[in-house]
Amino acid sequence: MSRQTMRTFTRGTVRGVRKETPDTFTLHFDLGDGRTPADFMPGQFNMLYVFGVGEVPISVASYGGEKHLMHTIRSVGRVTNLLAALASGSSVGVRGPFGQGWPLAEAKGKQLLVIAGGLGLPPLRPVIEEGIAEPGRFDGMKVMYGARTPADLIYTYEYPRWHAADGCDLLLTVDRGASDWKGNVGVVTTLFPKARIDPRRAVAFICGPELMLKFSILELAKMGVPAERIFVSLERNMSCATGTCGHCQLGPLFICRDGPVFSYPKVRGFFPREGV
Amino acid sequence: MRFTASKDCIPSLIRNLEDRGYTVVGPSLSEGVVRLRELKGPADLATGVVDVQAPGSYALGRESPLVFSSVNGPDSPKGYLHPAEVGLSKLVDDGGSIELVSGFHSDRKYAFFGIRPCDLRAVQVMDRTMLVPGFEDHVYSALRNGAVFIVVNCTRAGENCFCASMGTGPSAESGYDVAITELPEKLLIEFPERSAAMFEGIELKPATKEELRTGEEMVQHAKEQMGRRIPEHDPSKRMYAAMDSPMWGRVADRCLACGNCTMVCPTCFCNTIIDRTDLRDGSVSRVRVWESCLSKDFVYSAGGNPRLQRAARYRQFVMHKFAYWPDEFGTYGCVGCGRCITWCPVGIDITDTVNSVLVGQEGAEKKMEAHPVV
Repeated sequence: MSRQTMRTFTRGTVRGVRKETPDTFTLHFDLGDGRTPADFMPGQFNMLYVFGVGEVPISVASYGGEKHLMHTIRSVGRVTNLLAALASGSSVGVRGPFGQGWPLAEAKGKQLLVIAGGLGLPPLRPVIEEGIAEPGRFDGMKVMYGARTPADLIYTYEYPRWHAADGCDLLLTVDRGASDWKGNVGVVTTLFPKARIDPRRAVAFICGPELMLKFSILELAKMGVPAERIFVSLERNMSCATGTCGHCQLGPLFICRDGPVFSYPKVRGFFPREGV
Repeated sequence: MRFTASKDCIPSLIRNLEDRGYTVVGPSLSEGVVRLRELKGPADLATGVVDVQAPGSYALGRESPLVFSSVNGPDSPKGYLHPAEVGLSKLVDDGGSIELVSGFHSDRKYAFFGIRPCDLRAVQVMDRTMLVPGFEDHVYSALRNGAVFIVVNCTRAGENCFCASMGTGPSAESGYDVAITELPEKLLIEFPERSAAMFEGIELKPATKEELRTGEEMVQHAKEQMGRRIPEHDPSKRMYAAMDSPMWGRVADRCLACGNCTMVCPTCFCNTIIDRTDLRDGSVSRVRVWESCLSKDFVYSAGGNPRLQRAARYRQFVMHKFAYWPDEFGTYGCVGCGRCITWCPVGIDITDTVNSVLVGQEGAEKKMEAHPVV
């Protein structure tokens, strides 16, 4: 990562906006400096800037084989509400990429468990896409994804392709069903027994709300997946993204610089732990 | 090599620094407090005033025959090297494209004159936090570059000082450009070869054994005067073990979460970048301002607020200094200057906190979830 892209904004030109759910959307854009999705590692994030308003840290949702850079965003605050109003042709400032991504090399030849809750799916999307683009890279990929309701599921238009892909199993669940929902109801861990997980060769990549992370870790540990093979992506308030503003500190770790993806033993003791 | 010089050399020393292009910053009287200010000349130097400090209290007391008579006020070099407010960039929106009008630039060279050893150490601590290889902060780097430190060893400990137990004072060990010990009649001066030019036109005499011994005794006296201390034996490890002490909650009941401690702390670096729009031309300034981990919204995000409880925020401040900092940066985040004790409106004493969480470590009620899940 160069000093230049850490500090100054590159112009991102929006090429498409896709509505995912009533409050969540995906931006597709190109960068003015010619960089492509291949310049961003799965699990890394960018700071997206709205002129005169501020920045937000958002995970990279695209993978190297795609044309446009992708970010999936939920409008929950001042900056994200404005990002939601962008249309094709409009601009956004981009600073990044930042952070350590998913350790894909650790998962090579292993059974990869991709476990996501809610908006935890976008940072894992490039992992899924890489697994599909290169079948045999992992010894089976189990994608387990949970959302609050069927209407909150994102990337639904990708599911048929993911389902059909070689070596990829997609398991979905929702906290609360709906009249037309025929799938699983319950938290994401209720999918674990159905996924035919092999603890001896499983590597888990997990992203989602803190409670979901906590119970996923607990459940995997009970099944015998060693802590060193569990990786989590964490979220905190961020301002600088370069380890000098202090907002994202978790114990002795800077989530922006040391993370956002950590092996579980690295954060154990600080996460999940109240008030740290 | 160690020398002595007459106390009358101080104006020449300051002028020599000015002549060499330095902006000289030193203790100066302002608003009834000894602050660290740009000295417009030798007359601006606060001399002969003694600061009387206590938890939650600062006053200027009796007069003193010494030139360097006060210990430390609320300011430290941090205010110059990592300013409370600094413009990072000025931007304009040129038809959808964000254009940089100007970025941060400084070719100022600071000479910190008359600062104390704890503050020199604090700069060395900031070097670790702000100059991490690959992540160097360009503002700090520019302001720090070329700075010189004319440090005055302490011969009197302030009421709230505890540098001796942190190993950061009362005398400067390394990294100074000049170290001065003020003897009753003259100055005892030590400096590396590179600083020789600062003494142009100043008469230096080799220090006698007697003078050196007097200097050492005076510094030793300050060390012995210090009433406050942090337990020396590896507090970092033991602080981790004390994270669930009920003492955090007890101290936090008094804490107002005002953030004064973090503002006066010479090593606290937390900040936030804000956008300031100029209504005249529509330009935007990206400004970096100090922030505090004591602020309620400091860690607020869409995912929630992990430190909603004041006890959690107070614990963060203290744990950071004494436990996280060594793991992050290989040094304690505290230099024992005592400012957070003096400038706390309710007089919370960080040495009390550390000592009591370490003592109360056994049998502590488990207030917070104590164990990792796996």
